[in-house]
Amino acid sequence: MIELKNIEKYYSSKGIKHYVLRHVTTTIKQGEFVSIMGPSGAGKSTLLNILGMLEEPTYGTYEFMEEDVTRLNERKRIELYRNHIGFVFQAYHLIDEMTVYENIEAPLLYKKVGGAERASRIADLLDRFNMVAKKDLFPNQLSGGQQQLVGIARALAAQPSIILADEPTGNLQSAQAEEIMQLFQKLNKEDGITIIQVTHSEKNAQYGSRILNIADGVVKDDITLTAV
Amino acid sequence: MFKLNLKIALRNLWRNLGITAINIGGLAIALAAFILVAMYFTFETSFDQTNPNYENIYVVGRIEPDFKTNYTSPPLAKVIKQNFPEVENAGITKINRSWELAIKNGKKAIFTKNILQADYNAAKILDINPIGGLIKPSGDVERLTYLNVENIKTLFPDKKDNKPEMVSYGSASSGITGTIAGAIINNEHSNFSFDGVSIGNEIGKGETYGYNNYNTFIQVKPGTDVANLQEKITNLYRAELLKGETDLKTINEIKGVSIFLDPLANQHLKPKAGNDTPYKILISLSVLGFLILVIACINFTNLSIAQATKRAKEVGIKKVMGAYRLQLTTQFLTEIFIQCLVATVMAMVFAESALPYFNNLFQVNLTLWHADNNLFWQLPLVLCLITIIAGIYPALVLSGFKPALVLKGNFSTSKQSSWLRNGLLVFQFSIAVIFIIGLFIINSQLKYMRSEDLGFTANQVVYVKNISYFNDPAKFKTIREKLLKIPGVKSATVATDVPDGSGNGANGYTFEGQQKSLDFVDVDFDYFETLNIKLKDGRFFSPKFSTDTANAAVINESAVAKYGMKNPIGKTIRGCETDYKIVGIAKDFKAQGFESTILPTIYTIKNPCGNAKTQIMLKIEESKMADALAALKAKWSQINPKDGEDFRYEFLDDLYGKLFKKQEQLQSAFFAAALLTIFIAILGLFAFAKYITNGRIKEIAVRKILGASDIQIFKLINSSFFMMVLAANVISWPVAYILTKKWLETFAYRIDLPVLPFISSALITILLTVLTVSIQAKKAVKANPVDALKYE
Ligand SMILES: Nc1ncnc2c1ncn2[C@@H]1O[C@H](COP(=O)(O)OP(=O)(O)OP(=O)(O)O)[C@@H](O)[C@H]1O
Ligand SMILES: [Mg+2]
Repeated sequence: MIELKNIEKYYSSKGIKHYVLRHVTTTIKQGEFVSIMGPSGAGKSTLLNILGMLEEPTYGTYEFMEEDVTRLNERKRIELYRNHIGFVFQAYHLIDEMTVYENIEAPLLYKKVGGAERASRIADLLDRFNMVAKKDLFPNQLSGGQQQLVGIARALAAQPSIILADEPTGNLQSAQAEEIMQLFQKLNKEDGITIIQVTHSEKNAQYGSRILNIADGVVKDDITLTAV
Repeated sequence: MFKLNLKIALRNLWRNLGITAINIGGLAIALAAFILVAMYFTFETSFDQTNPNYENIYVVGRIEPDFKTNYTSPPLAKVIKQNFPEVENAGITKINRSWELAIKNGKKAIFTKNILQADYNAAKILDINPIGGLIKPSGDVERLTYLNVENIKTLFPDKKDNKPEMVSYGSASSGITGTIAGAIINNEHSNFSFDGVSIGNEIGKGETYGYNNYNTFIQVKPGTDVANLQEKITNLYRAELLKGETDLKTINEIKGVSIFLDPLANQHLKPKAGNDTPYKILISLSVLGFLILVIACINFTNLSIAQATKRAKEVGIKKVMGAYRLQLTTQFLTEIFIQCLVATVMAMVFAESALPYFNNLFQVNLTLWHADNNLFWQLPLVLCLITIIAGIYPALVLSGFKPALVLKGNFSTSKQSSWLRNGLLVFQFSIAVIFIIGLFIINSQLKYMRSEDLGFTANQVVYVKNISYFNDPAKFKTIREKLLKIPGVKSATVATDVPDGSGNGANGYTFEGQQKSLDFVDVDFDYFETLNIKLKDGRFFSPKFSTDTANAAVINESAVAKYGMKNPIGKTIRGCETDYKIVGIAKDFKAQGFESTILPTIYTIKNPCGNAKTQIMLKIEESKMADALAALKAKWSQINPKDGEDFRYEFLDDLYGKLFKKQEQLQSAFFAAALLTIFIAILGLFAFAKYITNGRIKEIAVRKILGASDIQIFKLINSSFFMMVLAANVISWPVAYILTKKWLETFAYRIDLPVLPFISSALITILLTVLTVSIQAKKAVKANPVDALKYE
């Protein structure tokens, strides 16, 4: 599903190139649950952003579903967002002026999903995440964990084939974090959704099937976990 | 999607209700001003546009070596039509505004001031259409006279048909009668506005090229090369004048004369022969209206920038959810558009309520609600325009944010856009400062004009309208005697012109071998005394000197200077085949107002080349004014039987005051503009400061905990705004300096450019800014730091 070849990323300041990523070459297959780990400043978020096409690598090729996306135009990229990729953020990033319901609905509107289909999908998600009673509340009326559930529900609404999550539990207490991780595992196992997450927690990484260890922009380890 | 966006927009606006209201209100006020200006602009620029040949009509005027004039002679139109096939039609008109003519039907009377005389061709060119259609008069002598519908109503209240009626002219005893052929609708929105028209097949028959008392109009075929035609007419005109001319000097003079063609479209605002002050005022007004609008739009932009950090996050999220940039742009524009739409509706209400004052000030009769109002297409256009101006920042910049950047967490747009935000604020205040300075300087100049010694006293002088000639002083003597018998009348005189800013006649006069052109005013005894004009040297006219009625002349100081005369008293000045003896020098007085310099002028009692002396002026004691006027009214037909039974007068100071009218309009417009810009800019600042301090509440709390005093925090918040206002002042001073200097230069008599307005405007804007910002800052300062820090 994802093919990275020799990805490099650097920022130049005063003529000096500061490398954030170097020689990143890897393949991620459909249905994998990958955790990216490494010390702070290692380049994890950068890598995830490149995978999500939010940033462009300075060198290397990136194929997403057999398509070279390094020089993709905006329209094509947004098509991919609409149909294949769901994002989950550490800071949740819900839209403050929208209710829970509307936040989940928004991507479906962009995707131009019909009204009845939309309503049933949202009802389904609310039900699944136990948020039915909270559907008319605004984000600031929810706890952090609840907000992150809405964030995930929103990512799932468009029925993506891959979810990219940057420290999805970073702001949460361990009990809530565990809940989210179980949800991810379930989505991965039951719905076959590919998941790539950045995490600092060894424990969270254990929910996945594979760990990419990054240090100083280089992939140090690529560990495949065997199912327990 | 649209519905959801709309909902979000409304929630957003609702949350910032105060700021939203301020923004929309400010924009509504600005739009109202703009609507008024736009309507006025349309009105002023569309004079005569209903004429089907509007584009192809030109006024034919003369350029003499030292002046330009629209007055031409009757034969010109005829030869133009004969010689140039591209000229479809040519005609002449004549108007005499100098006296009022009474037209009566029994006891019912009207006083017509301007009966437009036109030949049939001119009537056709100028689209003069009496009710029932334009009829060609028969033969050479017939004149078809039509009166305004209003006048006909006054004279014949019960008239239903459009048949001719008999009327009498002048006083009841004159016995002159005539026929009114019918009624005509007077178009007020035309350069040819009249009490009535008199149409002949040909007018001015027999008058030659010397009789330059007519206006010539031509209608050319579409696509005519006008510059070329103008040159051809000039050549033709010179050739005509040269016919039979042998005197070398005259031949040379004729070669210096040329013809200009001035489009009908120029006549109202910027005729080639005349001044273009109305045009300049209109342009300044339009600029004012536009700037006010821009300033109100800036409020929107600035608020969008202030909210950018928050909106940027929204942009980022929506983009990763699959929104195209275009969709976001549309969303932002829609939000702004809705606000502008609300503002527009409010603006219509404001404009409607301000319209009576506006109409009064500019002496027009504009209305908002009529079907062919250009506003109905202008307003939607303006609505789109302001939406774009106000929405350009969110639409172009906000929508372009990269999700990777804005979603990073500690993203802030304040650094990136502060230059733009501050720049816009500085721009707003610069405009406001220019307006304030302009207002102060206009005020000073007008105050100067009102208080400055004119050199004559218009106060307590009554100008009596009269139609009988008093060129012979003996004839006026008996009238004067009767006038002086009325208690309160101190002196009485008659002259060709009153000092009300209107032009005098001019002629060539020779003094010690130098021939120069002087303005001439033909006067009677007591002219200088009635107007309280000061004597510089010699004496004024007096019945004691029998030669005064034959060849005595008084000249003014400017005339003395023009010739460079030394000891002119007793010397001879020759003009109009007469040797005048200079008996006195009058101090210069501002008969023409403040815009043009005092013209070198000669005053004589007898002037064979002069005009009709009809303008009676009386000096009346203030305390007896009402009684004297009543007595004059009662006895007028005995005092001046030739004028008839109707005593009509005006106060000379009112008449002279009309010279200030345009400038007073400008003053009022500036006053309104300055007030509005300041108000709108302060509104914007208020909202903006509120937003900024809200954003800094945490910082302020931290500072307070670190031990900053309230005063220090006030200073902190105010300092950046203070610097911006200061910058605005520094930027706008030179601009205001140049503009006001240019304006002052349109006056021959003016104040020196004062410094005070510049300082005052700085003080006013700084004070207002500090006040506005401090009101906002107070909340932040008073807040308990613990509360502020608890959240997040
Ligand atoms: N716009 C930028 N300009 C210059 N350097 C940048 C920029 N963005 C990121 N970096 C640098 O790139 C490196 C990697 O950043 P990245 O955010 O990928 O780290 P991370 O592994 O996600 O760290 P953390 O665990 O703290 O989130 C850092 O050293 C950072 O300073
Ligand atoms: Mg990171």
